[in-house]
Amino acid sequence: MLLSYLKIAWKVLLRRKFFTFISLFGISFTLMILLVLYAMFDFTVGPQTPEKRVDRLLFINRLGLAMPGSDATSNPSYSFLERYVRPLRTPEKVSISTAGGSTVAYLGNNRLDLDERFTDAEFWQVLDFDFVEGRPYNESEVRAATRVAVINESTSRNYFGTARGVLGRFVEIDGVRYRVVGLVRDVPATRRFSYADVWMPITTSAEDIRNPDYLGSCIAILLARRPADIPAIQREFAQVVAGAPVPKLGGMAFKEVRVYAESLLTATVRDESNEHGADAGVGRLVGIVVGLALLFMLLPALNLVNINVSRILDRSSEIGVRKAFGATSGTLIGQFLIENLFLTLLGGLLGLAMAAGMLHLLNGSGLIAHTQFGINGRVFLGALVASVVFGVLSGVYPAYKMSKLHAVQALKGGTNV
Amino acid sequence: MIRHLFTLIWNRRRANFLLVTEIFLAFVVLFVVGSLLVYNQQNYQNPLGFEYEQVWRVGLDPGTQPKAERLSTLRQIIQRLRGLSGVQALGLTYSNTPFTDNHNTGDVNAVKGGHKVEVNSYWMEDDIRDVLSLRVLAGRWFDKRDDASNVPPVILTQDAQEQLFPQQSALGRIVYKGKKEFRVVGVVENFRGDGDLSSPKPAILRRLTAQDTSYVGFFTLLVRVRPGTGAELERQMTIESLAIGKGWSVGITPLPEQRAAQLKRVLTPIVAMVLSCVFLVVNVALGLFGVLWQTINQRRSEIGLRRAMGASAGAISGQVVGEILVVTTFGLMLGLGVAAQFPLLGVLGVSVGVYLTAMVLATGLIYALTAICALYPSRLAAGIHPAVALREE
Repeated sequence: MLLSYLKIAWKVLLRRKFFTFISLFGISFTLMILLVLYAMFDFTVGPQTPEKRVDRLLFINRLGLAMPGSDATSNPSYSFLERYVRPLRTPEKVSISTAGGSTVAYLGNNRLDLDERFTDAEFWQVLDFDFVEGRPYNESEVRAATRVAVINESTSRNYFGTARGVLGRFVEIDGVRYRVVGLVRDVPATRRFSYADVWMPITTSAEDIRNPDYLGSCIAILLARRPADIPAIQREFAQVVAGAPVPKLGGMAFKEVRVYAESLLTATVRDESNEHGADAGVGRLVGIVVGLALLFMLLPALNLVNINVSRILDRSSEIGVRKAFGATSGTLIGQFLIENLFLTLLGGLLGLAMAAGMLHLLNGSGLIAHTQFGINGRVFLGALVASVVFGVLSGVYPAYKMSKLHAVQALKGGTNV
Repeated sequence: MIRHLFTLIWNRRRANFLLVTEIFLAFVVLFVVGSLLVYNQQNYQNPLGFEYEQVWRVGLDPGTQPKAERLSTLRQIIQRLRGLSGVQALGLTYSNTPFTDNHNTGDVNAVKGGHKVEVNSYWMEDDIRDVLSLRVLAGRWFDKRDDASNVPPVILTQDAQEQLFPQQSALGRIVYKGKKEFRVVGVVENFRGDGDLSSPKPAILRRLTAQDTSYVGFFTLLVRVRPGTGAELERQMTIESLAIGKGWSVGITPLPEQRAAQLKRVLTPIVAMVLSCVFLVVNVALGLFGVLWQTINQRRSEIGLRRAMGASAGAISGQVVGEILVVTTFGLMLGLGVAAQFPLLGVLGVSVGVYLTAMVLATGLIYALTAICALYPSRLAAGIHPAVALREE
């Protein structure tokens, strides 16, 4: 039965090629745009290198000091994280690093812009970087403030002119020479808590790690033993924060310290929104994005509905015959929905291919540094879901209209719509 | 004739409902995107009020140096950099330099507790006028005379003067920022440090000197360099600065580069939106074309009958185009009703003129689009031969 429906659908598609082209054009472009956006989302907060174990990671990246009518928000300081986050008992490991900055290296008279990040040794254990050569720096090197660095492949190419065999050579950053001990694959700039061109021990940074202020320019990344431990870690941290004294800053009497350990998605949204309340605004953002996506799909869907209605009227005599021989409205609706789903899935496949091409172009354009956007299982699943939603959205009304055709009039080739 | 067409469409309103909705949505999309484009284009046309070619921004981070020593180190660095042969002018400022997306906003008023005006605040050393080639329209720029004054000096931009002291000169007047008082010593051209596409916003310029101890966490210099100097001077400046400031870090960025980066940041979402909009419009156009074509095929007998009764080919194609334009009008009326809510509710926060321009543009575009889509089907309809069409029945 299904097979014969699909055969009919295929024949119908071939019969009116222009209509098929219009339909596929609309479907595939719509799905392509949605897929590109979804792929970018997945490559920003999904389980990708270096946050492969994203379901076990928590991030602390914003600290707010609040009082009625006034507040100050920034990254937490190194000393705050060292005092209140490092001793937590529930996480397996805690890493503290700077929130990132940029610097310039000079090669003769050429300048090379580099994004730098100063980290502790745990940073390399909490996250999973792809080391091409060498190793991360270890705890004793961090403690001794040894001038060693891990660099990415692009930096190696730009600085040394080669992407291999640079271990033991030196990069000069802000007038200080660092020995390269490790070489990792490029990390996209969308990974805002791990991305850099050069990683160096936090003890060698200009960051004042003894400054007792709460506000600074660091972040903490926590690794849980199991995904199920996440709530326990958040509870423990909330308790610790509640017990921390509220500091004075520039003569302002703050009442509350607001800082949270959150998932990559929430932390990324918070980084962008600079919100310091308990709600980082993820729910609102998701609502807006889903609403906009549906709104965006509405116009192509309406277009498809219009075309589908025209197509059905074109086939009214076929429908008349089916009805005259006893096909129920339900059967006809089912058949038409399947035909339409077939069409949208075909469009979805096309859209997927176009999205892959588009993402490839985006990677090549260098719009965001070192991106490696692509199609993965989750994006494919997304394409499938979007195609089905689109197919149902655009198929129900024409199918309903089709089932309402009067057999007698339809047989005559006329219409009552 | 037109009344007749309206009646025809109105009688078939259920069948045309989908088309009307589609045109309505297409109009709303075009209107919103058009508003943003018109708005940005208007902003882009306003002059920046300063010159950025050959200007570099130098960021100096004192790192862990004790706060008490930072200013003297900074003064030494400034002196050394001024001595370099490639440097024409150099001045200290705060980190909200042009094109950085750093803002320092606040309210000022001309009368204590009076009407507040939100302004951008910029802090500038005396030499910044030469660095950015600012044009003083009235009064004077900051100079040594301000060292002795007990009311700190301030310079207003033209639009700040206009908003604070409508139709009057601000020279010599006092403006209030919270409890602090400032005396207006000069008026400069509108200064749009937020960049080419930023909305116009009044600004005040405050005087900064290398003796000011209020903020020593990070220093920013703006430097005008001799044309033709490049990375060599940049490197020399870095080396000289680091030689004096031990443990400091230096970041030098040419303003044209920062401008390009900012434009890319702002334009990328706009370009993505315009591309999506173009796709939606093409999609709607194709769909409309398909539907019209199909309709003509279904109405062959009706058209054949009209031809047989003596209607000319022109009358037939005129009817087809006329009908779709009437459908469009219904959709546009709905759309304009929605679009009118934008200025009334202030949704996008842009001026009424922008909305009106966008409305006119979107309306024109939709009419043109539907007319073009109807052209081929109307020719098809006009070509129907009555004898052939009527025999099919």
